Amino acid sequence: MPDDHPSEAPPPPSSPAIETKGLTKHFGERAALHGVDLYVPRGSAFGFLGPNGAGKTTLIRTLLGLTHASAGTMSLLGHPVPAERGEALRRVGAIVEEPRFHMHLTGRENLAIVAAVRGPESYARIAPALARVGLAERAGEKVKSYSMGMRQRLGVARCLLADPLLLILDEPTHGLDPGGIQEFREMIRAMVEQEGRTVFISSHLLDEVEKTCDAAAIVDRGKIITQGAIGELAGGGSTRHEVILTVDDSERALGLLSASPLVSDARRSDEGLRLTLAGEPASAAQINAELVGAGIGVMRLEPVRQSLEQRFLEVTSRLDADLAPAEVRA
Amino acid sequence: MNPAIAIRMVGADFLKIRRKYGTLIWALVLAMLPIVIFFTVNAIEHSSSPATHEPAGGTHNYTTGLRLLGGLFFGPLVAILIGVEAGTSDLGAGVFRDIVVTGRSRIALFASRVPAALAMCWAVIVPAYLLIILGTFVFAGNLPTPSFTLLLNGLGFLLLATGALCAVAVGFASLVGSKPASIIALIAWQLVAGNLIASISSLGSARDGVLDQAVTHFSPVALTDGGRHGPTIVTMSGGTAALVILAWLVVFLGLGVWRTATMDA
Repeated sequence: MPDDHPSEAPPPPSSPAIETKGLTKHFGERAALHGVDLYVPRGSAFGFLGPNGAGKTTLIRTLLGLTHASAGTMSLLGHPVPAERGEALRRVGAIVEEPRFHMHLTGRENLAIVAAVRGPESYARIAPALARVGLAERAGEKVKSYSMGMRQRLGVARCLLADPLLLILDEPTHGLDPGGIQEFREMIRAMVEQEGRTVFISSHLLDEVEKTCDAAAIVDRGKIITQGAIGELAGGGSTRHEVILTVDDSERALGLLSASPLVSDARRSDEGLRLTLAGEPASAAQINAELVGAGIGVMRLEPVRQSLEQRFLEVTSRLDADLAPAEVRA
Repeated sequence: MNPAIAIRMVGADFLKIRRKYGTLIWALVLAMLPIVIFFTVNAIEHSSSPATHEPAGGTHNYTTGLRLLGGLFFGPLVAILIGVEAGTSDLGAGVFRDIVVTGRSRIALFASRVPAALAMCWAVIVPAYLLIILGTFVFAGNLPTPSFTLLLNGLGFLLLATGALCAVAVGFASLVGSKPASIIALIAWQLVAGNLIASISSLGSARDGVLDQAVTHFSPVALTDGGRHGPTIVTMSGGTAALVILAWLVVFLGLGVWRTATMDA
């Protein structure tokens, strides 16, 4: 039988975990991926965020060699794919869409099947992997008796058989209850921070990516819209600075602030007054001083932090707006 | 590939089939039950009327047993069931992509299915053959019994007949990807189309291309009684028969490899 797992020198550690350049995938005339340039550094949790149908799973399937790319280049752990696919995937664990198993076999037997394909060193990892995901006691039961959450965890255990440097997880919290999601998040963080692994998470759950990942890329309609650190992504798209203000006399404060050159917009909101600053965030201190000077008690003055969700909606709606005229012309 | 990995991969594929109890029970029933019924009925008839019914064993009934298992459809059915199971197991369960992402060659993934299927198929067929031998000798009475050479040749024929079809079934099922469709198509070919083609004498030597006909050439006993109560047998040389079997294996295993290697997982 052919061997796709040659024992070669490890890839240079400076290489990114995932790198794609101009990656394109067509299904007939429809482009599921359109010139995707992606850079995922090692040792981080990286979110791949996008609405349903954006091309997230197609990218993962292309990276893993489950389907062929139409154009572009890609590499995993420094190995070009598909040229060195076997070596590239030797230390990659992946769950594509929902994890599937032989339902008539036990959890342990399902792992043994994958261990047989991966190589003898994987057998020794079966018991630790099951223990790691909390399935050691249920490993002897048939998978058909497992809940969705247990199957997700077994899927992660299957990934761990590779002792992966890179984990690629497609919608990994699907089917998990809140407690399971929390455990999963902690496990991902431990893998990144304590074990130095890279975790690539595809998700449409913005909150999940924001809480779990260090960096993310937002994808829509087969294109990467933006990518970077979570903090940069959340704040990077807007030059508008807003603050929430709670005072003891909101009527007088609103009148005073509406006339202030430091504020470009002031309005009531559920949380108190919502101000849009005319200048830099530091001007909030001057606003506070003016209010206190006017005898108005300030109970709260807090900058509005733009969430990844807002950023996500902003960039994807921008894309909608960009596309709309073209569609109208068409 | 490291032979140890290859052996473990075959073992893993064997495990998938072995634990499919539904398929396994059907295979055992198809292989064993006709033999049990055949010898039991003959033994009862003989004991109730020894003057009109010969003993249930002996060489003649050994031949009939071999015809039941190898020449007719029970052995081939077992081979089809197990071959199709091996060929579609990963695809049917949806785990093919999870195996592919290990980075192991897809050709290796396909290749491990064939020996696993053969091992399972023969693990069912050989006990059924032993049952035939048991009946042949236990119920022989005063009838002659088959020689050791004949018994060995009979075993070889059974392994060839079921093994070739089982391997073809693995390739065909890997190509088609659907278990029900593969089983229906192969049974239809085995029971209807193959025999129909063989019976059309105007087709001449083209009938040599039927797998069943080529395999039958290697039977140590006559598997038909001149076409009166059994399938038509096309005569061909040993070399032609071997080439036909080889061609079937190459074509269908090749198609299975091609499909496994190129399909979107």
